[in-house]
Amino acid sequence: MRILVVEDEPMLAAQLAEGVSAAGYVADIARNGADAHFMGDTEPYDAVVLDIGLPQMDGITVLKKWRAAGRTMPVLILTARDSWHEKVAGIDAGADDYLTKPFHMEELLARLRALIRRAGGHASTELVCGPLTLDTRSSRVSVNGRTLTLTGHEYRVLAYLIHHRDEVVSRGDLTEHIYAQDFDRDSNTVEVFIGRLRKKLPPELIETVRGLGYRLASPQ
Amino acid sequence: MTFAALRGSLRYRLLLGTLCWIAASIFVAGWGLGKLFHQHVETQFHAELTIHLDQLTAQLALDEQGRPELAMQPGDPRLNQPFAGLYWQIDRLAEAGFPAESAVLRSRSLWDQVLDVPADAPVTGEVHRHRIAGPQGAGLGMVERRVSIDGLPLRLIVAADENLMIEPVSRFQGELWLALGILGLGLALAALVQVFVGTAPLRSLQAALGRVRGGATRQLEGAFPTEIMPLVTEFNSVLTQNAEVIERARTQAGNLAHALKTPLSVLANAANATGGEDGELARLVAAQVEIARKQVDYHLARAQAAATARMPGARTPLQPAIEGLVRTMQRIHAARNLEMVVHPLAPALAFRGEEHDLQEMLGNLIDNACKWAISRIEIRAHAGHDRIAICVDDDGKGIASDQRDAMLQRGVRADQQVPGTGLGLAIASDLAHLYGGHLALADSPQGGLRATLTLPAAR
Repeated sequence: MRILVVEDEPMLAAQLAEGVSAAGYVADIARNGADAHFMGDTEPYDAVVLDIGLPQMDGITVLKKWRAAGRTMPVLILTARDSWHEKVAGIDAGADDYLTKPFHMEELLARLRALIRRAGGHASTELVCGPLTLDTRSSRVSVNGRTLTLTGHEYRVLAYLIHHRDEVVSRGDLTEHIYAQDFDRDSNTVEVFIGRLRKKLPPELIETVRGLGYRLASPQ
Repeated sequence: MTFAALRGSLRYRLLLGTLCWIAASIFVAGWGLGKLFHQHVETQFHAELTIHLDQLTAQLALDEQGRPELAMQPGDPRLNQPFAGLYWQIDRLAEAGFPAESAVLRSRSLWDQVLDVPADAPVTGEVHRHRIAGPQGAGLGMVERRVSIDGLPLRLIVAADENLMIEPVSRFQGELWLALGILGLGLALAALVQVFVGTAPLRSLQAALGRVRGGATRQLEGAFPTEIMPLVTEFNSVLTQNAEVIERARTQAGNLAHALKTPLSVLANAANATGGEDGELARLVAAQVEIARKQVDYHLARAQAAATARMPGARTPLQPAIEGLVRTMQRIHAARNLEMVVHPLAPALAFRGEEHDLQEMLGNLIDNACKWAISRIEIRAHAGHDRIAICVDDDGKGIASDQRDAMLQRGVRADQQVPGTGLGLAIASDLAHLYGGHLALADSPQGGLRATLTLPAAR
């Protein structure tokens, strides 16, 4: 799961990236409106944390441009502007949630998780696929009630697959959603993570769809 | 109306001035015309007497005995009828041993009376005028002329009753004053209409100002005469400028909040991150950051509303504001799966004030309801006499009646566990007071809290 953090205050941006990473996501940071717009327009983010007061282009404009271009990723506005007038304007511009500064990191993460879950059409905080359960609140993965120990990358691959269960996910998709933008990507490493996951999970849970990618299939 | 109030009225001044002028003109016209006519009639009267005198003079001759006689009696029938009002008389004047003798000859109309002429001695041929008492006490106007026939000095007199002259004059004056009276009445009526029509733009200006004040329009609207138009244009530009100043102030207040809250966020997160090492400090920082945030929120909302609450011309329709807030709440509180019901409201319902402030008040109320409701929120609005009332009901646990007043006090929170400013109801109540309205808390028929916001309505 990749998150775009748009925040012009460097210290807060770093704290946000740190908090988001600690929760098992990959974070990219944009420091101004123009960069944010470009990144959100070209990279497949699973969610965006968006400040409103930004240099070059304000957050509301960025958001409107994304929505006009058909970008549907969930957007959480995080701003100091907390009048209801601004909240209505933000939501009407296409935001999915609105959080005001100062905020508690836990609340921000809870809201982000809820946005990502709802974007995937999941109502519960626990995602279930056969014997596999992923608790988005605690980032815990268990099989038949037994907790699995996963590395960060393994968790991200599995979380993306379970958010898109019963869909074919290409290796390219996975690469884009588990690495940050400036990371030196190699889609072969995805195979390595899949291989490790298959050893930890019940067999046949992750299918290989030849020539297309992978699928986490819920048992019929 | 008192005298001072009358003096202050432009219409009264115009009307009073015009009426005074009309009265003075009519009086002068009546007096002058009467005088002129009187002079004219008087001149006519004497001219007629002089004609009679000339005729008398022409007919005058002496008989064989040297006594004056008339060759022919004057033709006017009034001269032959006793006391008909027109008389003549010929006196012989004293000269060279002859005594004077009055009424040597006289008209039949004099009967046995003699005109008593004041003694004076006009030069021969000169005509003199006098007023004398005539028969039966009537005032007479008379002319006399001295002639001398064959050395015999005579005085010829023609006199007429003054009533013959006064009667047409007084009849004329009666008709004159009647006509002038009607004219004056007409002019006064015209003046009334003129003042009424002339000051009509002032009344429509007043009505336009009333509409601005009542929030129906943002600017003075309508066509005004060229004398008033500059005033209207100036006033409109002041209104526009006012709105711009307020918008700038809002933006700057927002910027200030932004400038304060971002560092507060950094501070709070940093303290939280070190929580494990120094829990006491982290808690202290977190608590202080929360207090600072509340202070900023509260004073910001108040400052913004205080600047705009008495601003004329603001009008905010209720329906779009409520719909926008409900859309927003459904997103922000999406996780709570609440049913939000907005009962149909009249599209004409509007708040006399700024949109920002209405959203701030209602947003806080609905947000509060969303935090406490179990499953359902209802919003309804209705209009009273120049007031609108908006009710927000929830099915939560409500607030005990003895705690409700405290909830509307600044900074009191009923339950620290629910996230949010905890100032929402207090801010809404404060803003409502700034607008001359109020917030009331009661039990909802749904089981929770009913918050009723009463605000001034826009026309």
